[in-house]
Amino acid sequence: MSASQQLTPTNPNSALKIRLAYRFLLTLNTLNAKKPPNFDHTQIHRRSHRVKIAAYASMASVVGPKRAWSRAILWKIRNRGMLARNKKRIHRISTPIRLHRHHARRRRNPNRVVHVDPFVNSGLEVKLRKLVPGAETIDPCGLLDETADYIKYLATQVEVMRNLVDLYSTI
Amino acid sequence: MSSRRSRSQQGSSSMINDAQMADLISKLQQLIPLHVNRTNSSKVSASKVLQETCNYIRRLHKEVDDLSERLSELLESTDTNSAQADIIRSLIM
Repeated sequence: MSASQQLTPTNPNSALKIRLAYRFLLTLNTLNAKKPPNFDHTQIHRRSHRVKIAAYASMASVVGPKRAWSRAILWKIRNRGMLARNKKRIHRISTPIRLHRHHARRRRNPNRVVHVDPFVNSGLEVKLRKLVPGAETIDPCGLLDETADYIKYLATQVEVMRNLVDLYSTI
Repeated sequence: MSSRRSRSQQGSSSMINDAQMADLISKLQQLIPLHVNRTNSSKVSASKVLQETCNYIRRLHKEVDDLSERLSELLESTDTNSAQADIIRSLIM
């Protein structure tokens, strides 16, 4: 299989791929063990949702609590039961603030000379904060850093899943 | 208050250097697949990079959805135990 032949341990990207793939397969295995296979149409949708959650959960667990996005993902997944139940009552659960105890609140000093930065408060920054999990309360510098990290892991996870789909479809 | 100043990333969003920002933007640029030729990378504006980043993230999310749908279908139709053992073996070796 060409996919396995391309994996060389010396390449850091491949090492990351192996870690993500292993974790993802582990999560999938436990997923499969729990539920019996159903051929009902609604179950198919639920199963694909579970696979998606497994993908994000395994990706976030490989990183662990080191990153804001992985923390946010893990928190969201662990509490998705509660979130679904309280959806009507609570609009936005501000966990990043709770977890980041060292993140002090920024006070806007009107007398301070503000270096006009086209990025801050632009539409793009808002969009980015919505796309990257857990990025709503990070400062703009950290936001770009988180985005880069998130993209790296997300792209590798997509590659892993694509390879899995190829492998499964040829078996 | 001095401790807050000493942390470079705390409360200083209005005082980000251009150099710092350019550094981060170039880092992002290397990660996303750009349509522009790489030799012109110095001319790609920051806003374009950010826009491409947003689009790329959205695309990746959509791909995860599609792939997980296909994976769930495939997982149904194959004998999972032996297939997964094979896959794990082929991926790790």
